[in-house]
Amino acid sequence: MTAITLHGIRKAYALGPTVLHGIEMDIRPQEFVVIVGPSGCGKSTLLRLIAGLEDCDAGDIIIGGQRANDLAPQDRDIAMIFQNYALYPHMTVRENIAFGLELRRVPKAKRNARAEEVADLLQLGPYLDRKPAALSGGQRQRVAMGRAMARETSVFLMDEPLSNLDNALRTELRTEIKDLHRQLGATIIYVTHDQTEALSLADRIAVLKDGHLQQFDTPDAIYDRPANRFVAGFLGHPAMNFLPAARVMGPAAAVDAVAGLRPEALTLHTDQPQGPAVQGRVVLVETTGAGLILHVDTDLGRMVAVTPRISRPTHGMALWIGLDPGHALLFDASGARIDHPR
Amino acid sequence: MKRDPLLLTGLALGAGLLFLAPVIYSIWLSFQTANAYYTGTLAFTLDNYGHAIGQYNFARYLVNSVIVSGLVTLIGISLATMAAFAFARWRFWGGDFLFGAVVATLMIPSHITLIPNYLTLAKVGLLDTYAGLVLPAISSGFAAFFLRQYIRGIPRALDEAAYMDGATPLQVLLRVIVPVARPAILSMGLYIFISEWNSYIWPLVAVGRQDMYTLQIGLARLYRINPGEGMIDWPLVMAASTLTLLPVLLGFFLVERHLIRGITMGAVK
Repeated sequence: MTAITLHGIRKAYALGPTVLHGIEMDIRPQEFVVIVGPSGCGKSTLLRLIAGLEDCDAGDIIIGGQRANDLAPQDRDIAMIFQNYALYPHMTVRENIAFGLELRRVPKAKRNARAEEVADLLQLGPYLDRKPAALSGGQRQRVAMGRAMARETSVFLMDEPLSNLDNALRTELRTEIKDLHRQLGATIIYVTHDQTEALSLADRIAVLKDGHLQQFDTPDAIYDRPANRFVAGFLGHPAMNFLPAARVMGPAAAVDAVAGLRPEALTLHTDQPQGPAVQGRVVLVETTGAGLILHVDTDLGRMVAVTPRISRPTHGMALWIGLDPGHALLFDASGARIDHPR
Repeated sequence: MKRDPLLLTGLALGAGLLFLAPVIYSIWLSFQTANAYYTGTLAFTLDNYGHAIGQYNFARYLVNSVIVSGLVTLIGISLATMAAFAFARWRFWGGDFLFGAVVATLMIPSHITLIPNYLTLAKVGLLDTYAGLVLPAISSGFAAFFLRQYIRGIPRALDEAAYMDGATPLQVLLRVIVPVARPAILSMGLYIFISEWNSYIWPLVAVGRQDMYTLQIGLARLYRINPGEGMIDWPLVMAASTLTLLPVLLGFFLVERHLIRGITMGAVK
């Protein structure tokens, strides 16, 4: 039951750029927070600051009500799972899982029992006496999770733990992590650049860009009410379409405002529909299984729409795209979202 | 083009025999009597070993060599490993300069330090002691440099995982870095041991008492005392040489297995 508060966190590397500019976050006990952002946005650095693997230049890290800035990693009662697993190659799975307990002088019988318990939970039972080199990628990732779980800490940090795995395994382990979170009742901070992971795992998502926190909110809120044009474009697949606001909202809209429409909000027509619309020509059709992703060239530029697979538009086909103002999000010239009556 | 493995094997065997020939010849000679050697006949005997060990004190020299080389290796490799860990993983004020200084020691010929070391040890009264033989040899700049490069190749995430598991820096070194770097540490240990075992000039300078001689000094002295009454007793000298060589060979065969097997990495994808 540990809350984490980040207050005014700044970090710059020696002779390098500032990577974090005053991050403010309030993470509740047992919350699953996903930090997401493009490469180099500072998300891994933020995690390493919380872990104590690096020192921040300014600000406070408060873990469980205690200021943790000056605590060594081993004194923060935090477990971390690394992107490349970082298993000890000379130890068996059992020894890897029990190492943290051994360092805390837990008796051998007790720590072995705990290692077996954790291994059972992660379906690693048959591999306890193997070394990491004899395991598959997915098994190694499970061992890394087991090592973090063995110590029964209340905070877990996960740094892109699934990014080295293939797609099927990733989906499977994602579900397991979600399950584990429910079972363990721990606070989890999870870093990823994969928006699907972010949207499906998180209680709340923190979106980072260039070291600035863009928005920290629930997946629904981030998807439906993004704070700015970057967040709107970063989350959601395919990405949001951005058009001159006047074409969607009519002449009342500000000249430099931009309207954002998600691909699923666009309607496709063979003839010109009522209301705002734009005419275009299909240049690419992608099949996703459940539906189709259409890339359409219009006089407003390339637009992307998703549609059920019922009628299959073909390459080169001309069609109309309906732009429903009720589904549009408006952004001002600086990129911030502005409210508008729907 | 497919190479003939038979030809290659033959060439390798030939080269191996060529290198081994002097060793085999000297071992063969050590089992002959001096008389037989000079008259060109064959007479097998173990007496040369008996004389070398008993009469000429080689048992004592062997003990001295084992103690000195063992201590130098043990202390030297421990210091080098700790220095390497510090240089590889910690940034501290003056660290780069210090590392530069360590590398610079590689460029100083050992003979230059001979007289300063002698004067220092004479002042503190350590000549003719084991400490006097061991202390000047325990810092190996090369081992520190080599191990630092090796440790830099070990993913830092391993250290970080251990810190998160609750390890102190010393525990990270002993429980994570040392086991992973074992092949490098063993090969450096072997290197230090062999250098020290073969060391001649420093023991010659630092030791005057005969009961403190190492094998190399004893062996060199065997020529001078000229036990063959006018002619050198080559079979005796060869027996003494074989005694000098044997422990190193044995040690090498013991460690070689670890050197070649190395460690199976699987820590990081």
